Amino acid sequence: MKLSVDERWDIIDKISKETVKFGEYRHTLKDALAEITVKPLTGIPIAIAVLYGFWSFFGAFAGFFTDGFLVKLFDGHWLPWLQDVFPGGLGNWFYSIMVDAGHMESGVLVAADNCFESFGVLTSGLFVAIGVVLPAIIAFYLFLIILEDSGYLPRLAVLIDTVFHKIGLHGFAVVPMILSLGCNVPAVTATRNLETKKQRFMMMTLLAIFIPCGAQLGIMLDVIPEYVGFVMLYLFLGFFVFGFILNELIPGKSPEMILDVPPYHMPTGRNVGRKLWARLRGFFTVAIPFVLLGVVFVNVLYLVGVIDWLANVFEPVLVGWFGVPKETTAPLVAAFMRKDLAVGQLMGIQEQLGMVAFNTYQLVTSVVLVSLYFPCIATVAMIIKEGMQDRGKGVITFLLGSLAVLMAVVFIWGGLLHLIWIILGVA
Amino acid sequence: MRILLMGHPNVGKSVVFNRITGANVTESNYPGTTVDYEKGYVRIGHEEMEVIDVPGTFSLEPKDKAEEVAVKMLERNKDSVVVCIIDSTKIERGLYLALEIIERGSRVVVALNMWDIAEDKNINIDVEKLRQILGVPVVPTIAVSGEGIKELVSRISGATSVKIESVMKNVGGS
Repeated sequence: MKLSVDERWDIIDKISKETVKFGEYRHTLKDALAEITVKPLTGIPIAIAVLYGFWSFFGAFAGFFTDGFLVKLFDGHWLPWLQDVFPGGLGNWFYSIMVDAGHMESGVLVAADNCFESFGVLTSGLFVAIGVVLPAIIAFYLFLIILEDSGYLPRLAVLIDTVFHKIGLHGFAVVPMILSLGCNVPAVTATRNLETKKQRFMMMTLLAIFIPCGAQLGIMLDVIPEYVGFVMLYLFLGFFVFGFILNELIPGKSPEMILDVPPYHMPTGRNVGRKLWARLRGFFTVAIPFVLLGVVFVNVLYLVGVIDWLANVFEPVLVGWFGVPKETTAPLVAAFMRKDLAVGQLMGIQEQLGMVAFNTYQLVTSVVLVSLYFPCIATVAMIIKEGMQDRGKGVITFLLGSLAVLMAVVFIWGGLLHLIWIILGVA
Repeated sequence: MRILLMGHPNVGKSVVFNRITGANVTESNYPGTTVDYEKGYVRIGHEEMEVIDVPGTFSLEPKDKAEEVAVKMLERNKDSVVVCIIDSTKIERGLYLALEIIERGSRVVVALNMWDIAEDKNINIDVEKLRQILGVPVVPTIAVSGEGIKELVSRISGATSVKIESVMKNVGGS
């Protein structure tokens, strides 16, 4: 027999009367904390403080290990040692892929003196993965896990709710968004918590385009620390602008959702450790092989001349529309594999071209382009998988839709940045 | 035999799952951590049973994709034992889902999780009485520290399905 909703509540009422006694309840410190973190007047400053703390911790931790220790190790010892002992030497094709391709300086092929420039599997590949990104993601995930386990994330969602409603997403969309700052792949799965197909499409597309992952954040923090804030702001702004436009354009509903806010818990060391380990294991088994493969991929394309060919084909667009040198083609290709690798490569290219041919503003534009222009291959695979589950045969329209949004965003948002530099007189 | 762990979002299903199976499913303090089901195994007596950590659902009328997964899991596994996990501090709405599952004829064991928080909040639940009314095993648990989990597991093989009519009779008859 099945009951109606009212009948069920009627029984529950009776059961509860017979079995549950609510005693006197004292307000505890936890409740006070719970209150001040959701009321806008106190909650917003606290949220800003928490996010600022997040940022500072991330920068300090990653900076300490990367700049203070790992850069010296890789540039001062690892690279010279490899250049010394690795068979082949400058000009050899295998040596170029694995260690150092070298670059032309006034007509002479010279060796690289740092691990961004060399762009070999064993030099740049390992340096980007272990020297730069590993410390960054340890710091990032540690803080994120503590936020997750304490119960602060849903409170942040409540605070951001109003802004999110303007773009047709409810506050809960902040969860995939924050996860996405770690890695876009789990974030795509987390969009299942959103209710309609429209919302899931919007969220997947927007986060794949606009939210840089932890690995990319880490390396940006290392190579352009003073501009990371600007890049992030520009990307977040894009997220909301295009979110607003998509919400207007796409048919479908964006219903309200009532969010359940859990009580605060003290995160347990056991769970934090376990989750951190699970994430790091994922990094070692999935991300690092991708970084190394990415280097091989790009180097092979270089050697057979595909990169130069592409660079010449896209030169008018890159130089004319985005205002960046045609040499940024290679990092844009690398970005298919890994975004962190692409940013590292941009840095190497700037060092080779010099500040005049490739100034800081152009570097910022190319970093923004690397984030915007195409999600990494792992994210694409995940979007296809989720899209298939969500739409069945409609997955083609779903993907084409995403791609169309992507193209529009790259040209509008990337071109706009060039325009901003022109107006400011720096381009 | 299969065991399904069901309950509202963020009542600690994944924590119970990890406790029972020794697995490493992600646990977080926000609703919606588990969006797909997870499988694990537990040995009860001589029988190896499959345990499934089902995404959280408020009722059996699904509202999002994660909830759809939950309802499909239940429909596909009509002969399994459902461990219905309830947040002891929000017992009424947890019971709503429990009743819905009972109505569908599944064998049910109820876990009153976060028992410690209910005690902190001065909420007293008469477990024995609840057991009598529902006619199914009811076990208080604190999954994060593991209290009550052993008893919960020991009740699984003895679970039987009950008729909703008998629940109505039990509650009306006092």
